[in-house]
Amino acid sequence: MHQPKSVGEAAEMLARFGEKGRLYAGGTELLLAMKHDLLRYEHLVDIKTVPGLDKIEAKNSSLSIGGTVTHREIEKSAVVRERLPVMAEMTRHIANVRVRATGTLGGNICFAEPHSDPATLLLALGAVAKVQGKSGEKALSMSEILMGAYETALAADEILTAIEIPLPAKSQRAAYLKFQTHERPTLGLALVLSLDESGRAITKAAAAVGSVAPKPCRSEQAEALLTGPREKVERQLSEASGALADAADPVDDLEGSAEYKRHLIGVYLRRAFAQVLSGNPPGREKIAD
Amino acid sequence: MSKQKKRDFHVVNHSVPRRDGRAKVTGKAAYVSDLKLIGMAYAKVLRSPYAHAKLVSIDTSRAASQPGVYCVITGNDLEGLDPYYGHAVKDHPLLAIEKVRYAGEPVAAVVAVDERAAFEALEYIDVRYEELKTVLTPQEAMAKDAPLLHEKKFEAGALRGFEGDVTAGRGTNLCQEHHIKWGDVEEAFKKAAAVIEGEYYFPMTYAYAMEAYVAIADVNDNGVTIYSSAQHPFMVRHDLKSIFNLPVSQVRLIVPFVGGGYGSKSYTKIEPLVAACSWKAKRPVKLQLTVEEAMLTTRSDDAYTWMRTAVDANGKIIARQAKIYMNTGAYAENSPLVVEKSTNRCVGPYAIPNVQIDNYSFYTNTVPASSYRGFGCAQVTLPGESQIDELAAKIGKDPYEFRLANVAKPGQEFFPKMRPFDGTLEEDLAIAAKAIGWKEPLARGRGRSVACSGSDAGAYPLTSTAVRVHADGSATIMTGSTELGQGSHTVIPQIAAEELGVPFENVRVVSSDTAITPYDRSTGASRTTTLMGSAVLEASREAIQQMVVMAADVLKVKVEEIQVVRGGVRCGEAQLNWSEVISRFYGLPDGEVIGRAYIRKAGKFSQLPVFWETACTGVEVSVDEETGKIEMEKLATVGDVGLAINPALAEGQDIGAATMGMGIGLFEELVYQGPQLMNGSILDYRLPRFSDLPKKVELHLVENQDGVGPYGAKGGGEASLNSMAANIANAVARAVGVRIRQAPLTPERVWRALKEKEKVKSQK
Ligand SMILES: Cc1cc2nc3c(=O)[nH]c(=O)nc-3n(C[C@H](O)[C@H](O)[C@H](O)COP(=O)(O)OP(=O)(O)OC[C@H]3O[C@@H](n4cnc5c(N)ncnc54)[C@H](O)[C@@H]3O)c2cc1C
Repeated sequence: MHQPKSVGEAAEMLARFGEKGRLYAGGTELLLAMKHDLLRYEHLVDIKTVPGLDKIEAKNSSLSIGGTVTHREIEKSAVVRERLPVMAEMTRHIANVRVRATGTLGGNICFAEPHSDPATLLLALGAVAKVQGKSGEKALSMSEILMGAYETALAADEILTAIEIPLPAKSQRAAYLKFQTHERPTLGLALVLSLDESGRAITKAAAAVGSVAPKPCRSEQAEALLTGPREKVERQLSEASGALADAADPVDDLEGSAEYKRHLIGVYLRRAFAQVLSGNPPGREKIAD
Repeated sequence: MSKQKKRDFHVVNHSVPRRDGRAKVTGKAAYVSDLKLIGMAYAKVLRSPYAHAKLVSIDTSRAASQPGVYCVITGNDLEGLDPYYGHAVKDHPLLAIEKVRYAGEPVAAVVAVDERAAFEALEYIDVRYEELKTVLTPQEAMAKDAPLLHEKKFEAGALRGFEGDVTAGRGTNLCQEHHIKWGDVEEAFKKAAAVIEGEYYFPMTYAYAMEAYVAIADVNDNGVTIYSSAQHPFMVRHDLKSIFNLPVSQVRLIVPFVGGGYGSKSYTKIEPLVAACSWKAKRPVKLQLTVEEAMLTTRSDDAYTWMRTAVDANGKIIARQAKIYMNTGAYAENSPLVVEKSTNRCVGPYAIPNVQIDNYSFYTNTVPASSYRGFGCAQVTLPGESQIDELAAKIGKDPYEFRLANVAKPGQEFFPKMRPFDGTLEEDLAIAAKAIGWKEPLARGRGRSVACSGSDAGAYPLTSTAVRVHADGSATIMTGSTELGQGSHTVIPQIAAEELGVPFENVRVVSSDTAITPYDRSTGASRTTTLMGSAVLEASREAIQQMVVMAADVLKVKVEEIQVVRGGVRCGEAQLNWSEVISRFYGLPDGEVIGRAYIRKAGKFSQLPVFWETACTGVEVSVDEETGKIEMEKLATVGDVGLAINPALAEGQDIGAATMGMGIGLFEELVYQGPQLMNGSILDYRLPRFSDLPKKVELHLVENQDGVGPYGAKGGGEASLNSMAANIANAVARAVGVRIRQAPLTPERVWRALKEKEKVKSQK
């Protein structure tokens, strides 16, 4: 176990250990996998000791959540609750309080477990991952950083230092709903809509589904169908959900058949749409936790 | 035994706080995992990746030379032992011999200085397998060209308390069959006014206990000593005695606290393997399984049931017939008894004049099935109680009223040759129905159901105990009953304290050490309060009889002149408490009196079952018609327990059992894809959580003192599980009009049924 004092030193260590080393944040995924002998590392680089990565900051038009901020800190953060309530609400329903108290947002994204709640919402919100490696910094969109199940675009020495989420404009509303009967969600669906001044038409839509595919996804076709006058969009909802389902291309597994998951995408798109437009704060919907 | 009226009790029928509560919540209670013997080594098990394969060769030389390894043991190293064990039939080798019969079967074990070293060495064991065709379901197992799991004939096991014959080992995959028949079923179905017929499936489930299997064995020249998380130490002793060919006196099983059993820890599990490890390593060895390994050790029998039930024009149930195929997995374990019990329990707590039940269980290449809370009852109560509702709907009767009209009445001999019914189901049902608001209006998407079950419980009555009364008047109970969390170590001293008239705090329990505590058949089948409770009551009274004689001696009067009062004796003006009697008898403030009791199948226990375990549950559910997801709105349990020695503990058993049954009704199911278990971890196998508990819960006890046990008590603790899956299915049928004949009722299954209903409707 190593405890670097800076991101640079951590990157240096990771580069040196290569295959034999791994970054360690809350350990809620990593230690479990190691305990079951699915992963073996000789060196763990504890990122929690690096100063500066545990901050939540609101900037003018974005919110920055540090790489080692825990779910619990996000859910309790006054800034997040005020500026991005949908994020706080989504976080409140991740796993259980023990996992939330130690598990980090960075760890959640970087483990790339397909049933991630944050990944789905962050994709719809257009969040960006700030990444630093031995040779410098870069920014990756959610669709860039998440490559597949348990697979990210990060090199061995690269560390996620923060997630930057654009703050929704006044005309924007967002909802995140999930269907969960197992330990992790069967379906997550995030919907972000921009409304015109009358509130009657949707000028821009972002819809993401997660948990049903190796990584969360969006569909341009679906988003086009979700744009336009409200009544028209309402009529197009099932077509939009079909497009979204095609993009996700769910498969049969223990959580359900592909057919059932496609059906759920339709149900949840309709529920999210109704919720976004009703203006009710998210989370009124009963979510299993 | 004279019955005391309920309100006269000093200690029993009071919810005294459980004895082990503080120690357990503060982490001070010792379980086998906490124990360490001098020189103790650790074992880890290599398991077969194949479900059915010949063991061509096993090379352990590389593993044996790994750092920290004492020895490696395989099925080839067992010469000198009788490696086959089993309660019903000895079909189970302690390590695979010649072939493996399920994916996950132990093939070899490494014994090393610590767990890590043992674990690391496992991958250096080289095993060559030759795969064989697998058999995964009863249907496949009975096919003509099905490969055989077991080729040879078996010796019978201990068979303690088994009524029928064991079928296993006759050159087929049939493990056990059992049949009951009375009246004329064919004739009755011909005459019936209405009949319901259907096929049902009850899933494979895992009896999750927080503590996974763990045992420490110390095999040396003095015999075999084992510390284990076993429910039935005396049964395990028997298997080890025959494996090592030792007299009973040289096999010692010690069971400290057990972290939950639910049937999964009944009979012998990992003890023979650990003992063989110690035997070969020549030192004490500990084996602690992970939960994932525990899930590869035992499960419930899944059951395919075809059933039909008939009523006459007056709404009286006149016939029931069922054919059940159970899947017992690779080894018989206790499943032959599960088959016998589930056959009987098909009749339910109903008085039915024409009955025929045919039940068969088959060996398959899956994890061996065995006891599971409710013992075969839940498997057949899903079809049984579903059909009661289906029939009621068909003849246009209220299902609650329909049950009231047909349940067995108190004292009724509803099951030939068995003990007359000793419960009060009409009262129980009424309480359950009231608790969930049976007659109140329902919102859309909501439904209610009440259901019941009656099990021939108590296993076999063979129990003994000693109650030692010390010179200061305190007492120690020697009991073979195991504290699994059910509260036996609180209930048993309550009974002794009641009888001896001494403070509850002064009565202590020494338990579950076969070298010290007298024989008790088992801790299961809800028998402890009834049988061990009766034994403790009798032993306390026997100690009192002895102390009466002593008092007469001390006071130099005739025995007849001594009068027993609470906590002592009186003779004229003289009054002595137990401490004074004993101290004066011995002439020193020391010494003791030992009261004993032996319970056997005689007297009031001559007729089986020991008692009918009877309970009702009531539920209200709401169904999300878009997703198929069920929410539990209300739950009521009614435990028909005769008398609750400790009401809070009895209610705790009921809510626990009902929650477990709810898990089966809603989401618990071990899923196989081909021969591989797909969800063999508690992350993937969905267990009930606190957040799943129904929004409103009412727990009721019915205490008519109609049981055969102490003060009219009878057992509880399993019964509230049995009717839950059927209850949920019935409530869903009433909520949204779809009948689902398979548990669990997952959201997708409910959604599919709703879709099917829509399709049928649109076709009309
Ligand atoms: C029982 C359980 C239930 C759960 N349920 C849910 C759920 O309902 N919804 C949901 O979304 N999630 C769920 N999770 C996942 C949970 O959110 C994650 O376990 C947690 O967020 C991971 O964070 P961590 O700090 O513990 O990561 P760790 O376990 O420490 O690390 C995970 C991986 O990410 C890497 N890593 C960590 N931090 C960084 C970084 N800053 N930069 C680069 N790589 C990094 C590590 O090297 C490791 O490979 C559940 C987890 C458990 C155990």
